[in-house]
Amino acid sequence: MLNGLNIEGTTPLHRMSVRAKLAILLICGLGLYAVSSLYVLIPAFIIAALIYFTTGLSFREGVSRLKPILFTILILLIATAYLTSTRAAAESFFRLMAIVLFAGAVTATTATGAFIDEITRLLQPLDRLGLVRAADVGLAFGLVLRFVPDIFNHYQSIREAHRARGLKVRPLTILAPLIILTLKDADTIAMAIDARGFRRPRERLR
Amino acid sequence: MTTRDLVLIALFTAIIVVLGLIPPVTLGFIPVPITAQSMGVMLAGCIIGARRGALAYVLLVLLVAIGLPVLAGGRGGLAIIQGPTGGFVLGWIVATFVTGLIAERLVKEGQSEVRQFAGFFIASVVGGIGVLYVIGLPWVTAVMGTPLTEVAKGSLVFIPGDIVKAVIATLAARAVLAGYPLLHARA
Repeated sequence: MLNGLNIEGTTPLHRMSVRAKLAILLICGLGLYAVSSLYVLIPAFIIAALIYFTTGLSFREGVSRLKPILFTILILLIATAYLTSTRAAAESFFRLMAIVLFAGAVTATTATGAFIDEITRLLQPLDRLGLVRAADVGLAFGLVLRFVPDIFNHYQSIREAHRARGLKVRPLTILAPLIILTLKDADTIAMAIDARGFRRPRERLR
Repeated sequence: MTTRDLVLIALFTAIIVVLGLIPPVTLGFIPVPITAQSMGVMLAGCIIGARRGALAYVLLVLLVAIGLPVLAGGRGGLAIIQGPTGGFVLGWIVATFVTGLIAERLVKEGQSEVRQFAGFFIASVVGGIGVLYVIGLPWVTAVMGTPLTEVAKGSLVFIPGDIVKAVIATLAARAVLAGYPLLHARA
């Protein structure tokens, strides 16, 4: 139900560390906003497109992933061209497309687990300060992935209950039972986690 | 943060993901179909409160960032955050916090039903619509260069739908408060 958007492969981008990829993405993103010359932005767009389509993503899958975001960008592009100048609109278009394609390439080449490990590592300094527990992030991710199918089953049984009684399936009548049914389990789940000692008790600093 | 808080946060994130899997409904008088997921900000703030609600959205944004298709229509990935509507995605966190803050102040258990409805509605409108647009719209301008007034005018079509969502979220939040109160419960 929730498969990651990454594609297995061995391209240089696949082998690069997650931190390096995110740093490059951040620097490119900020850097491209500093330039407004089409002589830089169009090559940047072409390079990003080449990287995106060589990640092992099939052309069709690659295009279909971009569709929703491309739609928004095109509407705004038309509005911007009409309200300001065609040149300004072209600049925003190539800049944004370059960033979006490169971001898509990072997503396609990084496994979900690698991302979670990197987030946990980046949180270590805060963990040492006692602000957050880095290990909680991994636990929370696991809980979400574990419970999405269960909650979807709750939704389906509530929908069936509606149908059996000849009621229309509407968000209004579904939300409250779905939320109560799900959150009611919180205590049991929390007890199960504590019973297994997943969250090591830590001495309070103060 | 207790384990129970952590579990509530993760379960609410999971509920928001599931709301994205439910097919959107079209109402006759509103041009844009309503996805149940877009009510998540109001629901999270009004049901589990400011801090836990905002953390549930931090978790959701992280899930988007690491490339899981958790948004309505199977969308996800870093491109969503870097794109023109990224301001709304990041704005969810602040919007949920503000919604929760207002709901916690205005709504008390044992109040009359009408006052609880009013409290949740005000929280949903101010946090889930006001704060969200204040963050989301300038982002569109910054990214695309479209003038802010025009972006604001263009987004007016979404306002009737947002009001309907605020009403639905208000009714749902009040039903949950009556059945399984969590807003003020702090372990």
